Amino acid sequence: MAEPVAAGRTAAEIQSNADAALEQRRQRRYLVHALLRSPTFMIGTSSVVLWILMALFSTWFTQSPFDVNPMDTLQAPSAAHWLGTDDLGRDVLARTLAGARSVLIVAPLATLLALLMGTTIGLITGFYRGITDEVIMRLVDVLLALPVVITSILILSLLGQSVAIVIVVIGVLFTPLVSRTVRSAVLREREREYVMASRLRGERSWFVMAREILPNITAPIIVEGTVRLGYAVFTAATLSFLGFGLQPPSPDWGLTIASERLFVQLAWWTVIFPAIALASLVVGVNLITDGLGRVFSK
Amino acid sequence: MSDVVNEGIGQTGAPQAAAVDVRDLEVTFHRRGRDLPVLRGVSLRIAAGEAYGLVGESGCGKTTLALAVLRYLAANGTVDRGDILVDGRDVSTLSEEELRKWRGEAVAMVYQDPATALSPAMRIGDQVAEVFRFHQGLNKTAAREGARESLRKVALPDPEATLRRYPFELSGGQQQRVVIAMALAANPRLLILDEPTTGLDATVEAEILDLIEELRGRINAAILLITHNLGLVARLCERVGVLYAGRLVEEGPAREIFTDPRHPYTMGLLRCVPRFGMNKSDAALQTIPGTLPALGEALQGCVYSARCPMAQPVCVRREPDLHAWPGDGGPRARAEAEAAPADPAAWSPHHASPVGEGLRHARCYFSAEVPDMPATTPVLSAPGAVEEGRAGDVLEIDTVRRSFRDGRKKLVAVHDVSLNLKRGETFGLVGESGSGKTTLAKCITGLIAADSGTVSFEGKRLKPTAGRRSQAALRAIQMVFQNPDSTLNPAWSTRAILTRAVRKLDGGSGSSVRAKVDELAADVRVEPRFLLQKPMDLSGGQKQRIAIARAFAGDPTLVVCDEPASALDVSVQASILNLLVELQASEAVSYIFISHDLAVVRYLSDRIGVMYLAELIEVGSAEEVFNPPHHPYTEALLSSIPTLDLDDSHERIPLRGSMPSLSDPPSGCRFHTRCHRILGDICVEQEPPLQEAVTGHTYKCHIPPDELLRAQTEVDPLAESIST
Amino acid sequence: MTRLILRRLLLMVPTLILVSLLIFTLSEILPGDVGRTILGPYATPEQVAALNAELGVDEPIIQRYVAWLGNFVTGDWDTSPITDLEVRPQVMGALGNSLLLAGMALVVIIPLSIFLGVVAGLRKDGLLDRGITISTLSLTVIPEFVSGVILLVIFAVTLQWLPVTALAPEGSNLATRLYYLILPAIPLMFIELGYIARMARVGTVEVLARPYIRTAVLKGLPRRRVIFGHVLRNAMVPTVTVIGGQIGWLIGGLVVVETLFGYPGLGKLLVDAAKTHDVLVLEAGVLVVAVLYMLSNLSADVIVALLDPRVRQRA
Repeated sequence: MAEPVAAGRTAAEIQSNADAALEQRRQRRYLVHALLRSPTFMIGTSSVVLWILMALFSTWFTQSPFDVNPMDTLQAPSAAHWLGTDDLGRDVLARTLAGARSVLIVAPLATLLALLMGTTIGLITGFYRGITDEVIMRLVDVLLALPVVITSILILSLLGQSVAIVIVVIGVLFTPLVSRTVRSAVLREREREYVMASRLRGERSWFVMAREILPNITAPIIVEGTVRLGYAVFTAATLSFLGFGLQPPSPDWGLTIASERLFVQLAWWTVIFPAIALASLVVGVNLITDGLGRVFSK
Repeated sequence: MSDVVNEGIGQTGAPQAAAVDVRDLEVTFHRRGRDLPVLRGVSLRIAAGEAYGLVGESGCGKTTLALAVLRYLAANGTVDRGDILVDGRDVSTLSEEELRKWRGEAVAMVYQDPATALSPAMRIGDQVAEVFRFHQGLNKTAAREGARESLRKVALPDPEATLRRYPFELSGGQQQRVVIAMALAANPRLLILDEPTTGLDATVEAEILDLIEELRGRINAAILLITHNLGLVARLCERVGVLYAGRLVEEGPAREIFTDPRHPYTMGLLRCVPRFGMNKSDAALQTIPGTLPALGEALQGCVYSARCPMAQPVCVRREPDLHAWPGDGGPRARAEAEAAPADPAAWSPHHASPVGEGLRHARCYFSAEVPDMPATTPVLSAPGAVEEGRAGDVLEIDTVRRSFRDGRKKLVAVHDVSLNLKRGETFGLVGESGSGKTTLAKCITGLIAADSGTVSFEGKRLKPTAGRRSQAALRAIQMVFQNPDSTLNPAWSTRAILTRAVRKLDGGSGSSVRAKVDELAADVRVEPRFLLQKPMDLSGGQKQRIAIARAFAGDPTLVVCDEPASALDVSVQASILNLLVELQASEAVSYIFISHDLAVVRYLSDRIGVMYLAELIEVGSAEEVFNPPHHPYTEALLSSIPTLDLDDSHERIPLRGSMPSLSDPPSGCRFHTRCHRILGDICVEQEPPLQEAVTGHTYKCHIPPDELLRAQTEVDPLAESIST
Repeated sequence: MTRLILRRLLLMVPTLILVSLLIFTLSEILPGDVGRTILGPYATPEQVAALNAELGVDEPIIQRYVAWLGNFVTGDWDTSPITDLEVRPQVMGALGNSLLLAGMALVVIIPLSIFLGVVAGLRKDGLLDRGITISTLSLTVIPEFVSGVILLVIFAVTLQWLPVTALAPEGSNLATRLYYLILPAIPLMFIELGYIARMARVGTVEVLARPYIRTAVLKGLPRRRVIFGHVLRNAMVPTVTVIGGQIGWLIGGLVVVETLFGYPGLGKLLVDAAKTHDVLVLEAGVLVVAVLYMLSNLSADVIVALLDPRVRQRA
């Protein structure tokens, strides 16, 4: 049955190698299926997708979030206004559903900015080490020495507010954490023998960083990205609550809660529904992160 | 080695329950939705006080067996069938509380990598005392006293001070002694050792083995030694069991099994390990074709039939029983198998237990023919000596020095090393951990810049770092690394890896590159279809072959091989070593071959250099270095190898103390703190000169060659020289 | 050990200097006209000029910075031109209030989180683990003002079990003050719960997979001994490190909670100062925050050194 074929392959070995390859492919598909079957991941994804749809299309089927109605202020939920009206008579349902827009613009863009800058810095400091690493990481430590909210307040109050500035501020302030994660991943990969082999070929530094190391650290970057996204949503909402983000009459949730909280004893609906909406989005993002983390770690 | 042969139950004095009695054990792992059978119908018995060696390669299930005995299988492992009796008690019937008491008292385990086996944040004394406190209910003081006594029993210097230390403050050898002390603290009936010396230096390994041998005399525990290293088993164990794909294929007294194997797998294993003294010009290593079966892979008939050079249709038709040898395993069994209905599913339960009375058993229909097993690899003709015209120094290293900073300490990793390498020559570099061989290799290839000294290639000085070297230099000097799992970029396809190497090192474009890649793959015997896959889909051996192909992409003149086969299974190692020899003959490359495995180095090398604590303390031809006169360190190193040659009764030379730290090397001769031939103050105060035994064989020592020769050969006038 | 602490304290200094430089730059350099920033668009040019002169805007930047830093260190923090109150008592008083609130939250939540995290880790992938993980995860990501508002509506407005404000009447004793702080402390606790429990769980799971736990079990040690002597000790190392880092988010949380409940802590002070462009208060307050944050990280490092001897040796 088995005829030895020189000092190399036998028919059986060839077969077993093919089986091994098939096995690997099966395992990878299993990962995707595991993701799809993970309840946390699916619930999180559904929530986020729902809010994305709302942000895009809610105004097509709700009343206008901006129509001021001085006659019907602070009305309890009724047939005309399913979730009631706020202190300016605006429909709470419309405002709640539209409120997703601002967060879903600010947070992802800020996260993207942080990922781009953080990955670049992490790659450079992790790869070169030495003085560059020391200096840059020291600067990073300085940025990390202050809580994000505090620094944001400082900057936004003194340097002006606009959506763009908020995005840049959050992105810049999140960069240090991303760069730390990327840096440690790079430090690990750097010691691997395939990196040494590429240096022995005379590969340029940028090649090693971009083509050899980067493709192997995408997993931690993705996970870090979703984690940062969660924090970004959190921070953006907090900043608009404190009054340092968007301005009225935006239906932004944080802003709404901040302005309507004075009426909380009279009209709880003006505050609760935006609160629940925000909570569901944030929890959704973090369930995605948790699901991803679980599946990757198996 | 003890000559006690197993006498079985009931023959000497009062019948004692076997230390371990495993019957028909079947263990399955459930992983990612699949059921992977790991152990299939294994039966074995270890008598009280006996040492039994369980050998096999990765994935054969030997560690699983040990964990099953301890009832410590992972949550996804189940014992589907079979019984395990330890000291007469069925392990599966123990309650949680009984199990806890029983662990440590009846069975204890020592395994690989002692550094991780000890709790890092707890003092040694506390950890060892725990056993006494919780098993024997002693109070703190008594437990501490017990701990001290345990440490003393394992020959740890200064037990009192050690009690207060933390694990990271001890060396690897000392850590393993502590682990052994803890295991023996409660006087177990069975001691399981799972690869206890893998990862330890050769001399440390020898010390630990000495310790175990000595302890056997004093304790009455049976020993189950699990390892892939046949030499260890030969040294310590009375009986041996060979495990393949979860099935016991041969069993019996160690001496007989190793001198007269009766199963093709055992014979294959013995043939693929270079025996001490073998050289590549004598014969190629006999490899075992094929690869180890994957975990849970479905096999037909005899589990080894797919790779067996003697396989016949009857082997697939019905799995052979574990027949006694000599016994009914031959023609009669074959006839029965032919007559009975075909039963190709392997591992039918009734095939588990040994059949027939006898001291040894083998699971093969052709046991009688095993000694005549055909060679699987054609014996190489001796590669011709390099033509004189082309001979000449290819590499010249002059007084290279390299140090590292660790916090405030300065570690000199390579101290004034000089050596020459000729074209087509293999230079073996040996040394233990911390000797500096890997650092030296990195200085040569340019991965690390030497602090001082020069590295010259074909007469021209090389820039210290690879990044500054010319294309020609990069092409000419390449490296093969140790770890097959990280030597290839996991994100690239194999083809891309080789293509890039060819482009960068060989030049050319398009079709010429493609052709070269195909040629390289063929040279290293990797099928073209594997080029399309990612490294993670390849086996360890295949990955290493690709790594070798990559190194040869630019037709190098020198390839530095840093432990290229150490991370591979024994049967795969042989094929990689053969490949390296073959490529050397066809491409006329020189090798610097680094390894801790002396037999392998002896096999491959023309010349050998021995490094100790950052210095090159001896250089010479393989023959010269491995025979007296040679440096006392080399002498001790050679004596510490556990050999398969059971008639070899050379004296073990234990080294005193442990390896000094690189940040604070000893004065005078660096080896004087451990040397068994220390002359006196001269060794402590003065740096030893370079002695020359014969032209080309030099060593650093105060003892001149003729005295050394006399001293090293007089010990046992009847002993033959070690090179036989 | 003391050497470790001293070394860390010394290392803090350059970072603090850089941080103070950052704060100073953001507050007085970048906005341009400091006086204008403080007084707002409606002040007259003369008023602005007067304030600028008082602040010494014309002097070279380095000199201004050094003077400011020097004043901070000696405790002379000037008076706010907007509120006409002295900065230092304002900041320190607010700090005291915040420490009370934060302290209360931490004292309750740190032990609880560690307990939950370790339990989840010990029963990994079981029902208890999934339950604890999901619930702490969900609670932790909800912004403090969201959970605060929901709790406010439920417990203070509807059920009226707890007071709506956070500030106890003047002269109340400690117990009463803490009672008023229950509602504001809960959102803070929710946030910290998730991070600490998650880290404790991860630490526990990682340690359980280590070979030395196998050694401990195979030695025949009782389960309790394995958990307390071997698992906890080592699992606490990453957990404590995380707690140190989490103080940053806690401070951010204080800002939100104090604003929501109108509690006169350092957070609310900073928000109000930011809104009114009270630069001097902002500078001083933020620098105080930086110092606190660094000290809390230092404490975490010290505790880790106590737990892990390898860290001690490296120092």
